[in-house]
Amino acid sequence: MYKAIKISAGRGGWGGPLVIQPTDEKNMIVSVTGGGIDGLTKKIAEMTGGTAGDGFSTGIPEDKIAVVIIDCGGTARCGVYPKKRIPTVNLMQTGPSGPLAKYITEDIYVSGVKPENLSYADGSEPVTAPGITEKEDTKVKEDGSSGKQSILIRIGKAVGGVVGKFFQAGRDTIDMVIRHILPFMAFVSVIIGIINGTGLGNIIAKGISPLAGNLIGMIILSFICAIPVISPIIGPGAVIAQIVGVLVGEQIGAGNIKPAMALPALFAIDAQVGGDFVPVGLALGEAEPETINVGVPAVLFSRMITGPLAVVIAWLASFLLPY
Amino acid sequence: MNALAKAAEWFINLFNLGGQNFMGLVTGIIPTLVVLITFVNALIALIGQEKMDKFAAGCSKFFLLRYTVLPVLSMFILCNPMAYTFGRFLEEKYKPAFYDSAVSFCHPITGLFPHANAGELFVYLGIAQGITALGYSLGALAILYFIVGVVVILIRGIVTERLTLLFMKRR
Repeated sequence: MYKAIKISAGRGGWGGPLVIQPTDEKNMIVSVTGGGIDGLTKKIAEMTGGTAGDGFSTGIPEDKIAVVIIDCGGTARCGVYPKKRIPTVNLMQTGPSGPLAKYITEDIYVSGVKPENLSYADGSEPVTAPGITEKEDTKVKEDGSSGKQSILIRIGKAVGGVVGKFFQAGRDTIDMVIRHILPFMAFVSVIIGIINGTGLGNIIAKGISPLAGNLIGMIILSFICAIPVISPIIGPGAVIAQIVGVLVGEQIGAGNIKPAMALPALFAIDAQVGGDFVPVGLALGEAEPETINVGVPAVLFSRMITGPLAVVIAWLASFLLPY
Repeated sequence: MNALAKAAEWFINLFNLGGQNFMGLVTGIIPTLVVLITFVNALIALIGQEKMDKFAAGCSKFFLLRYTVLPVLSMFILCNPMAYTFGRFLEEKYKPAFYDSAVSFCHPITGLFPHANAGELFVYLGIAQGITALGYSLGALAILYFIVGVVVILIRGIVTERLTLLFMKRR
Protein backbone atom coordinates (compact mmCIF):
# COMPACT_ATOMS: atom_id res chain seq x y z
CA MET A 1 0.00 0.00 0.00
CA TYR A 2 1.45 3.30 -1.02
CA LYS A 3 1.04 6.40 1.13
CA ALA A 4 0.79 9.98 -0.08
CA ILE A 5 3.28 12.46 1.35
CA LYS A 6 3.54 16.19 1.15
CA ILE A 7 6.93 17.68 0.26
CA SER A 8 7.33 21.37 1.10
CA ALA A 9 10.10 23.76 0.23
CA GLY A 10 12.82 24.06 2.90
CA ARG A 11 14.38 27.21 4.29
CA GLY A 12 15.38 29.40 1.34
CA GLY A 13 13.82 26.92 -1.05
CA TRP A 14 11.24 27.53 -3.72
CA GLY A 15 8.09 25.97 -5.19
CA GLY A 16 5.83 23.22 -4.02
CA PRO A 17 4.34 21.82 -1.96
CA LEU A 18 4.11 18.63 -3.97
CA VAL A 19 1.92 15.73 -2.91
CA ILE A 20 3.50 12.48 -4.03
CA GLN A 21 1.70 9.17 -4.08
CA PRO A 22 3.40 6.28 -5.86
CA THR A 23 1.17 3.89 -7.81
CA ASP A 24 1.75 0.38 -9.07
CA GLU A 25 3.02 1.70 -12.39
CA LYS A 26 4.87 4.72 -11.05
CA ASN A 27 6.59 3.60 -7.86
CA MET A 28 10.24 4.61 -8.31
CA ILE A 29 11.74 7.32 -6.11
CA VAL A 30 14.76 8.21 -8.20
CA SER A 31 17.93 9.90 -6.99
CA VAL A 32 19.96 11.68 -9.70
CA THR A 33 22.64 13.13 -7.47
CA GLY A 34 25.89 12.01 -9.06
CA GLY A 35 25.85 8.39 -7.91
CA GLY A 36 24.34 6.60 -4.94
CA ILE A 37 21.00 7.10 -3.24
CA ASP A 38 20.96 10.08 -0.93
CA GLY A 39 19.27 10.25 2.46
CA LEU A 40 16.21 12.21 1.40
CA THR A 41 15.43 9.72 -1.35
CA LYS A 42 15.58 6.88 1.16
CA LYS A 43 13.31 8.79 3.53
CA ILE A 44 10.73 9.49 0.81
CA ALA A 45 10.80 5.85 -0.30
CA GLU A 46 10.37 4.71 3.29
CA MET A 47 7.43 7.04 3.94
CA THR A 48 5.57 6.41 0.69
CA GLY A 49 6.35 2.72 0.32
CA GLY A 50 7.92 3.34 -3.08
CA THR A 51 11.22 1.90 -4.29
CA ALA A 52 14.35 4.03 -4.11
CA GLY A 53 16.55 3.92 -7.20
CA ASP A 54 19.86 5.39 -8.33
CA GLY A 55 19.13 7.22 -11.57
CA PHE A 56 22.77 8.10 -12.11
CA SER A 57 24.26 4.63 -12.45
CA THR A 58 21.18 2.76 -13.63
CA GLY A 59 18.69 3.81 -16.22
CA ILE A 60 15.11 3.95 -14.96
CA PRO A 61 12.24 4.22 -17.45
CA GLU A 62 10.57 7.58 -17.15
CA ASP A 63 7.07 6.12 -17.00
CA LYS A 64 7.96 4.34 -13.75
CA ILE A 65 9.15 7.45 -11.92
CA ALA A 66 6.94 8.88 -9.16
CA VAL A 67 9.36 11.63 -8.18
CA VAL A 68 12.97 12.49 -8.92
CA ILE A 69 15.48 13.93 -6.43
CA ILE A 70 18.31 16.10 -7.80
CA ASP A 71 21.05 18.36 -6.47
CA CYS A 72 21.34 21.07 -9.06
CA GLY A 73 22.64 24.56 -8.36
CA GLY A 74 20.77 26.07 -11.27
CA THR A 75 22.30 25.08 -14.57
CA ALA A 76 20.75 22.39 -16.67
CA ARG A 77 19.42 19.53 -14.63
CA CYS A 78 16.86 21.40 -12.55
CA GLY A 79 14.79 22.08 -15.66
CA VAL A 80 15.06 18.76 -17.47
CA TYR A 81 12.57 16.78 -15.36
CA PRO A 82 10.03 19.59 -14.90
CA LYS A 83 10.05 19.94 -18.69
CA LYS A 84 8.97 16.30 -18.90
CA ARG A 85 6.42 17.03 -16.15
CA ILE A 86 8.06 14.62 -13.71
CA PRO A 87 7.71 15.89 -10.11
CA THR A 88 11.13 17.16 -9.09
CA VAL A 89 12.67 17.67 -5.66
CA ASN A 90 15.89 19.68 -5.55
CA LEU A 91 18.17 19.34 -2.50
CA MET A 92 19.68 22.74 -3.31
CA GLN A 93 17.75 25.98 -2.86
CA THR A 94 17.54 26.74 -6.56
CA GLY A 95 14.50 28.61 -7.88
CA PRO A 96 13.57 28.80 -11.56
CA SER A 97 16.89 29.21 -13.39
CA GLY A 98 18.93 27.76 -16.19
CA PRO A 99 18.02 27.52 -19.84
CA LEU A 100 14.85 25.61 -18.99
CA ALA A 101 13.70 28.01 -16.27
CA LYS A 102 10.29 28.50 -17.82
CA TYR A 103 9.37 24.85 -17.15
CA ILE A 104 10.20 25.11 -13.45
CA THR A 105 6.85 25.85 -11.88
CA GLU A 106 5.48 25.55 -8.36
CA ASP A 107 3.15 22.69 -9.25
CA ILE A 108 5.92 20.31 -10.35
CA TYR A 109 9.09 21.48 -8.59
CA VAL A 110 10.20 22.11 -5.01
CA SER A 111 13.68 23.00 -3.76
CA GLY A 112 15.81 23.31 -0.63
CA VAL A 113 14.10 20.21 0.74
CA LYS A 114 15.36 18.62 3.98
CA PRO A 115 13.96 15.49 5.68
CA GLU A 116 11.95 17.65 8.11
CA ASN A 117 10.00 19.11 5.16
CA LEU A 118 8.34 15.77 4.52
CA SER A 119 4.99 14.98 6.07
CA TYR A 120 2.14 12.57 5.43
CA ALA A 121 -0.56 14.17 3.31
CA ASP A 122 -3.92 14.64 5.04
CA GLY A 123 -5.80 14.32 1.78
CA SER A 124 -6.77 17.97 1.61
CA GLU A 125 -4.49 18.69 -1.33
CA PRO A 126 -4.66 17.05 -4.74
CA VAL A 127 -1.92 14.58 -5.62
CA THR A 128 0.68 16.02 -7.97
CA ALA A 129 0.06 14.14 -11.17
CA PRO A 130 3.20 13.15 -12.97
CA GLY A 131 3.45 12.72 -16.71
CA ILE A 132 0.87 15.22 -17.85
CA THR A 133 2.42 15.97 -21.16
CA GLU A 134 3.69 19.47 -21.44
CA LYS A 135 1.62 21.86 -23.42
CA GLU A 136 2.90 21.79 -26.97
CA ASP A 137 3.62 25.21 -28.29
CA THR A 138 0.48 25.53 -30.28
CA LYS A 139 1.48 26.41 -33.75
CA VAL A 140 -0.93 28.86 -35.20
CA LYS A 141 -1.46 27.67 -38.73
CA GLU A 142 -2.03 30.33 -41.24
CA ASP A 143 -5.70 29.95 -41.98
CA GLY A 144 -6.78 28.79 -45.38
CA SER A 145 -7.48 32.22 -46.72
CA SER A 146 -4.04 32.39 -48.35
CA GLY A 147 -4.05 33.29 -51.98
CA LYS A 148 -6.85 35.71 -51.39
CA GLN A 149 -4.66 37.98 -49.31
CA SER A 150 -3.15 40.85 -51.15
CA ILE A 151 0.58 40.88 -51.66
CA LEU A 152 0.86 43.90 -49.44
CA ILE A 153 -0.65 42.07 -46.49
CA ARG A 154 1.58 39.04 -47.07
CA ILE A 155 4.72 41.17 -47.13
CA GLY A 156 3.54 43.01 -44.06
CA LYS A 157 3.02 39.73 -42.21
CA ALA A 158 6.42 38.38 -43.23
CA VAL A 159 8.20 41.51 -42.07
CA GLY A 160 6.22 41.49 -38.88
CA GLY A 161 7.23 37.87 -38.29
CA VAL A 162 10.92 38.61 -38.74
CA VAL A 163 10.78 41.66 -36.50
CA GLY A 164 8.93 39.66 -33.88
CA LYS A 165 11.58 36.95 -33.95
CA PHE A 166 14.39 39.47 -33.55
CA PHE A 167 12.57 41.15 -30.69
CA GLN A 168 12.00 37.84 -28.93
CA ALA A 169 15.66 36.94 -29.52
CA GLY A 170 16.65 40.22 -27.87
CA ARG A 171 14.42 39.52 -24.91
CA ASP A 172 15.89 36.02 -24.49
CA THR A 173 19.39 37.44 -24.73
CA ILE A 174 18.92 40.12 -22.09
CA ASP A 175 17.29 37.52 -19.87
CA MET A 176 20.33 35.26 -20.33
CA VAL A 177 22.72 38.12 -19.54
CA ILE A 178 20.88 39.00 -16.34
CA ARG A 179 20.27 35.47 -15.16
CA HIS A 180 23.63 33.88 -16.00
CA ILE A 181 26.33 36.07 -17.41
CA LEU A 182 26.23 39.05 -15.01
CA PRO A 183 26.01 36.89 -11.86
CA PHE A 184 29.02 34.90 -12.97
CA MET A 185 30.94 38.08 -13.79
CA ALA A 186 30.17 39.39 -10.31
CA PHE A 187 31.39 36.14 -8.78
CA VAL A 188 34.56 36.10 -10.89
CA SER A 189 35.29 39.74 -10.01
CA VAL A 190 35.04 39.07 -6.28
CA ILE A 191 37.50 36.21 -6.59
CA ILE A 192 39.91 38.21 -8.72
CA GLY A 193 39.71 41.24 -6.43
CA ILE A 194 40.58 39.13 -3.41
CA ILE A 195 43.33 37.24 -5.21
CA ASN A 196 45.00 40.38 -6.52
CA GLY A 197 44.53 42.42 -3.35
CA THR A 198 45.79 39.86 -0.86
CA GLY A 199 48.76 38.44 -2.71
CA LEU A 200 47.01 35.09 -2.76
CA GLY A 201 47.83 35.09 -6.47
CA ASN A 202 51.48 34.31 -5.76
CA ILE A 203 50.53 31.22 -3.78
CA ILE A 204 48.12 30.04 -6.46
CA ALA A 205 50.76 30.66 -9.11
CA LYS A 206 53.10 28.29 -7.28
CA GLY A 207 50.38 25.63 -7.29
CA ILE A 208 48.99 26.07 -10.79
CA SER A 209 52.05 26.98 -12.86
CA PRO A 210 53.74 23.58 -12.57
CA LEU A 211 50.47 21.86 -13.55
CA ALA A 212 49.14 24.21 -16.21
CA GLY A 213 52.48 25.60 -17.37
CA ASN A 214 53.82 22.60 -19.26
CA LEU A 215 52.62 19.65 -21.30
CA ILE A 216 53.33 16.89 -18.77
CA GLY A 217 51.61 18.81 -15.97
CA MET A 218 48.54 19.38 -18.10
CA ILE A 219 48.30 15.74 -19.13
CA ILE A 220 48.35 14.82 -15.44
CA LEU A 221 45.72 17.51 -14.69
CA SER A 222 43.40 16.24 -17.42
CA PHE A 223 43.84 12.65 -16.28
CA ILE A 224 42.92 13.59 -12.71
CA CYS A 225 39.81 15.44 -13.95
CA ALA A 226 38.81 12.38 -15.99
CA ILE A 227 38.99 9.76 -13.22
CA PRO A 228 35.46 8.27 -13.17
CA VAL A 229 34.87 8.93 -9.45
CA ILE A 230 36.11 12.51 -9.71
CA SER A 231 34.58 13.67 -12.99
CA PRO A 232 30.90 13.51 -11.92
CA ILE A 233 31.74 15.45 -8.75
CA ILE A 234 33.58 18.35 -10.38
CA GLY A 235 31.30 18.53 -13.41
CA PRO A 236 28.14 20.38 -12.34
CA GLY A 237 27.64 23.74 -14.04
CA ALA A 238 31.29 23.71 -15.10
CA VAL A 239 31.80 25.91 -12.04
CA ILE A 240 35.15 24.36 -11.17
CA ALA A 241 36.38 24.45 -14.76
CA GLN A 242 35.37 28.12 -14.93
CA ILE A 243 37.17 29.05 -11.71
CA VAL A 244 40.31 27.21 -12.79
CA GLY A 245 40.00 28.89 -16.19
CA VAL A 246 39.98 32.31 -14.52
CA LEU A 247 42.97 31.38 -12.34
CA VAL A 248 44.99 30.08 -15.29
CA GLY A 249 44.05 33.19 -17.30
CA GLU A 250 45.33 35.38 -14.46
CA GLN A 251 48.66 33.51 -14.50
CA ILE A 252 48.94 33.87 -18.29
CA GLY A 253 48.26 37.60 -17.95
CA ALA A 254 50.90 37.86 -15.22
CA GLY A 255 53.47 36.13 -17.42
CA ASN A 256 53.85 33.03 -15.23
CA ILE A 257 52.44 30.73 -17.92
CA LYS A 258 53.31 31.01 -21.60
CA PRO A 259 50.38 32.36 -23.67
CA ALA A 260 50.66 29.48 -26.16
CA MET A 261 49.72 27.11 -23.33
CA ALA A 262 46.25 28.68 -23.30
CA LEU A 263 44.98 26.23 -25.93
CA PRO A 264 46.04 22.96 -24.28
CA ALA A 265 44.99 24.40 -20.91
CA LEU A 266 41.43 24.87 -22.22
CA PHE A 267 41.23 21.12 -22.72
CA ALA A 268 43.23 20.12 -19.64
CA ILE A 269 40.80 21.82 -17.25
CA ASP A 270 37.75 20.40 -19.03
CA ALA A 271 38.27 16.64 -19.32
CA GLN A 272 35.32 16.14 -16.97
CA VAL A 273 32.84 18.18 -19.05
CA GLY A 274 29.34 16.75 -18.72
CA GLY A 275 30.54 13.76 -16.68
CA ASP A 276 27.84 14.49 -14.12
CA PHE A 277 25.14 14.84 -16.75
CA VAL A 278 25.43 11.55 -18.70
CA PRO A 279 22.13 9.90 -17.63
CA VAL A 280 20.16 13.11 -18.01
CA GLY A 281 21.75 13.90 -21.36
CA LEU A 282 21.02 10.39 -22.59
CA ALA A 283 17.44 10.62 -21.35
CA LEU A 284 17.08 13.85 -23.35
CA GLY A 285 18.13 11.83 -26.40
CA GLU A 286 15.36 9.33 -25.56
CA ALA A 287 17.80 6.52 -24.76
CA GLU A 288 16.51 3.23 -23.31
CA PRO A 289 17.39 2.47 -19.66
CA GLU A 290 19.75 -0.32 -20.80
CA THR A 291 21.62 2.16 -22.96
CA ILE A 292 22.00 4.48 -19.97
CA ASN A 293 23.39 1.63 -17.86
CA VAL A 294 26.07 0.99 -20.45
CA GLY A 295 26.50 4.59 -21.51
CA VAL A 296 27.54 6.06 -18.16
CA PRO A 297 30.66 3.88 -17.75
CA ALA A 298 31.41 4.09 -21.49
CA VAL A 299 31.54 7.90 -21.40
CA LEU A 300 33.41 8.09 -18.09
CA PHE A 301 36.07 5.55 -19.08
CA SER A 302 36.43 7.05 -22.54
CA ARG A 303 37.46 10.31 -20.89
CA MET A 304 40.50 8.69 -19.25
CA ILE A 305 41.82 8.05 -22.77
CA THR A 306 40.48 11.04 -24.66
CA GLY A 307 41.08 13.63 -21.91
CA PRO A 308 44.89 13.45 -22.01
CA LEU A 309 44.79 12.86 -25.78
CA ALA A 310 42.86 16.10 -26.27
CA VAL A 311 45.59 17.97 -24.38
CA VAL A 312 48.28 16.54 -26.66
CA ILE A 313 46.33 17.46 -29.81
CA ALA A 314 45.70 20.96 -28.49
CA TRP A 315 49.37 21.30 -27.56
CA LEU A 316 50.42 20.39 -31.12
CA ALA A 317 47.86 22.85 -32.51
CA SER A 318 49.12 25.57 -30.18
CA PHE A 319 52.22 25.96 -32.37
CA LEU A 320 49.88 27.59 -34.91
CA LEU A 321 49.12 30.39 -32.44
CA PRO A 322 50.92 33.63 -33.29
CA TYR A 323 52.38 33.93 -29.81
CA MET B 1 43.97 54.34 14.88
CA ASN B 2 46.47 54.46 12.06
CA ALA B 3 46.59 50.70 11.91
CA LEU B 4 42.80 50.50 11.84
CA ALA B 5 42.62 52.97 8.98
CA LYS B 6 45.26 50.98 7.10
CA ALA B 7 43.28 47.79 7.62
CA ALA B 8 40.08 49.41 6.40
CA GLU B 9 41.84 50.74 3.30
CA TRP B 10 43.36 47.35 2.59
CA PHE B 11 39.95 45.74 2.96
CA ILE B 12 38.12 48.14 0.67
CA ASN B 13 40.95 47.90 -1.87
CA LEU B 14 40.10 44.23 -2.43
CA PHE B 15 36.65 45.24 -3.60
CA ASN B 16 37.86 48.23 -5.58
CA LEU B 17 40.07 45.85 -7.54
CA GLY B 18 37.15 43.47 -7.97
CA GLY B 19 34.93 46.34 -9.06
CA GLN B 20 37.45 47.45 -11.68
CA ASN B 21 37.54 43.92 -12.98
CA PHE B 22 33.73 43.78 -13.07
CA MET B 23 33.60 47.08 -14.96
CA GLY B 24 36.07 45.71 -17.50
CA LEU B 25 34.02 42.57 -18.02
CA VAL B 26 30.73 44.42 -18.36
CA THR B 27 31.93 47.08 -20.79
CA GLY B 28 34.41 44.90 -22.64
CA ILE B 29 32.41 41.74 -23.15
CA ILE B 30 28.68 42.28 -22.70
CA PRO B 31 27.84 44.78 -25.50
CA THR B 32 29.20 42.63 -28.35
CA LEU B 33 27.91 39.51 -26.67
CA VAL B 34 24.36 40.87 -26.43
CA VAL B 35 24.24 41.87 -30.10
CA LEU B 36 25.83 38.63 -31.29
CA ILE B 37 23.60 36.39 -29.21
CA THR B 38 20.49 38.28 -30.29
CA PHE B 39 21.44 37.88 -33.94
CA VAL B 40 22.13 34.17 -33.69
CA ASN B 41 18.99 33.50 -31.65
CA ALA B 42 16.90 35.29 -34.28
CA LEU B 43 18.64 33.38 -37.06
CA ILE B 44 17.87 30.07 -35.39
CA ALA B 45 14.22 31.06 -34.91
CA LEU B 46 14.01 31.99 -38.61
CA ILE B 47 15.51 28.70 -39.81
CA GLY B 48 13.02 26.77 -37.73
CA GLN B 49 13.13 23.47 -35.91
CA GLU B 50 11.63 21.24 -38.62
CA LYS B 51 14.35 21.92 -41.18
CA MET B 52 16.96 21.19 -38.55
CA ASP B 53 15.34 17.91 -37.59
CA LYS B 54 15.37 16.72 -41.19
CA PHE B 55 19.01 17.63 -41.60
CA ALA B 56 19.97 15.94 -38.33
CA ALA B 57 18.20 12.73 -39.30
CA GLY B 58 20.23 12.71 -42.53
CA CYS B 59 23.55 13.32 -40.73
CA SER B 60 23.03 10.55 -38.22
CA LYS B 61 23.70 7.79 -40.74
CA PHE B 62 27.38 8.50 -41.35
CA PHE B 63 29.87 8.13 -38.53
CA LEU B 64 32.06 10.99 -39.67
CA LEU B 65 29.12 13.39 -39.64
CA ARG B 66 27.60 11.81 -36.55
CA TYR B 67 30.49 12.95 -34.36
CA THR B 68 31.37 16.19 -36.11
CA VAL B 69 28.60 18.02 -37.99
CA LEU B 70 25.71 16.68 -35.93
CA PRO B 71 27.02 17.65 -32.47
CA VAL B 72 28.33 21.00 -33.71
CA LEU B 73 25.03 21.90 -35.33
CA SER B 74 22.92 20.63 -32.45
CA MET B 75 24.96 22.72 -30.03
CA PHE B 76 24.76 25.76 -32.31
CA ILE B 77 21.02 25.53 -32.91
CA LEU B 78 19.62 24.01 -29.74
CA CYS B 79 22.36 25.05 -27.26
CA ASN B 80 23.28 23.40 -23.97
CA PRO B 81 21.40 21.33 -22.68
CA MET B 82 18.73 20.81 -25.36
CA ALA B 83 21.42 19.84 -27.89
CA TYR B 84 21.41 16.31 -26.49
CA THR B 85 17.85 15.76 -27.70
CA PHE B 86 19.30 15.17 -31.17
CA GLY B 87 20.36 11.79 -29.81
CA ARG B 88 16.84 10.64 -30.65
CA PHE B 89 17.78 10.38 -34.34
CA LEU B 90 20.42 7.76 -33.56
CA GLU B 91 20.39 4.03 -32.93
CA GLU B 92 20.64 3.12 -29.25
CA LYS B 93 24.25 1.92 -29.54
CA TYR B 94 25.40 5.31 -30.82
CA LYS B 95 23.61 7.46 -28.24
CA PRO B 96 26.28 7.52 -25.49
CA ALA B 97 28.97 8.38 -28.06
CA PHE B 98 26.83 11.18 -29.50
CA TYR B 99 26.16 12.58 -26.03
CA ASP B 100 29.88 12.48 -25.21
CA SER B 101 30.70 14.15 -28.49
CA ALA B 102 28.05 16.86 -28.13
CA VAL B 103 28.71 17.69 -24.48
CA SER B 104 32.44 17.94 -25.15
CA PHE B 105 31.71 20.69 -27.65
CA CYS B 106 29.71 22.86 -25.27
CA HIS B 107 32.80 24.89 -24.32
CA PRO B 108 34.91 24.90 -27.53
CA ILE B 109 31.94 26.49 -29.30
CA THR B 110 31.79 29.43 -26.90
CA GLY B 111 34.91 31.13 -28.29
CA LEU B 112 33.11 31.89 -31.56
CA PHE B 113 29.43 31.41 -30.66
CA PRO B 114 28.83 32.31 -27.02
CA HIS B 115 25.05 31.99 -27.34
CA ALA B 116 25.35 28.18 -27.36
CA ASN B 117 26.32 27.96 -23.70
CA ALA B 118 26.13 31.46 -22.28
CA GLY B 119 25.91 30.19 -18.70
CA GLU B 120 29.39 28.68 -18.81
CA LEU B 121 31.44 31.23 -20.71
CA PHE B 122 34.30 31.51 -18.27
CA VAL B 123 36.01 28.26 -19.15
CA TYR B 124 37.05 30.07 -22.32
CA LEU B 125 36.74 33.70 -21.17
CA GLY B 126 38.79 33.08 -18.02
CA ILE B 127 41.78 31.86 -19.99
CA ALA B 128 41.16 34.28 -22.86
CA GLN B 129 41.39 37.21 -20.44
CA GLY B 130 45.03 36.33 -19.84
CA ILE B 131 45.72 36.55 -23.58
CA THR B 132 43.89 39.90 -23.77
CA ALA B 133 45.91 41.19 -20.81
CA LEU B 134 49.11 40.52 -22.77
CA GLY B 135 47.77 42.63 -25.64
CA TYR B 136 47.15 39.85 -28.17
CA SER B 137 43.89 39.46 -30.10
CA LEU B 138 41.68 36.45 -29.45
CA GLY B 139 40.80 35.45 -33.02
CA ALA B 140 43.40 32.71 -33.43
CA LEU B 141 42.70 31.18 -30.03
CA ALA B 142 38.93 31.11 -30.61
CA ILE B 143 39.26 29.50 -34.05
CA LEU B 144 41.82 26.92 -32.94
CA TYR B 145 39.70 26.11 -29.86
CA PHE B 146 36.80 25.43 -32.24
CA ILE B 147 38.84 23.33 -34.72
CA VAL B 148 40.69 21.30 -32.10
CA GLY B 149 37.30 20.88 -30.41
CA VAL B 150 35.89 19.26 -33.55
CA VAL B 151 38.87 16.89 -33.80
CA VAL B 152 38.57 15.98 -30.13
CA ILE B 153 34.81 15.28 -30.27
CA LEU B 154 35.32 13.05 -33.31
CA ILE B 155 37.95 11.00 -31.43
CA ARG B 156 35.80 11.00 -28.30
CA GLY B 157 32.79 9.80 -30.32
CA ILE B 158 34.77 6.94 -31.85
CA VAL B 159 36.36 5.83 -28.56
CA THR B 160 33.07 6.02 -26.63
CA GLU B 161 31.25 4.16 -29.42
CA ARG B 162 33.83 1.32 -29.16
CA LEU B 163 33.51 1.18 -25.38
CA THR B 164 29.69 1.21 -25.57
CA LEU B 165 29.69 -1.73 -28.00
CA LEU B 166 32.19 -3.57 -25.78
CA PHE B 167 30.12 -3.03 -22.63
CA MET B 168 26.91 -4.00 -24.44
CA LYS B 169 28.45 -7.30 -25.54
CA ARG B 170 29.54 -8.08 -21.98
CA ARG B 171 26.04 -7.76 -20.56
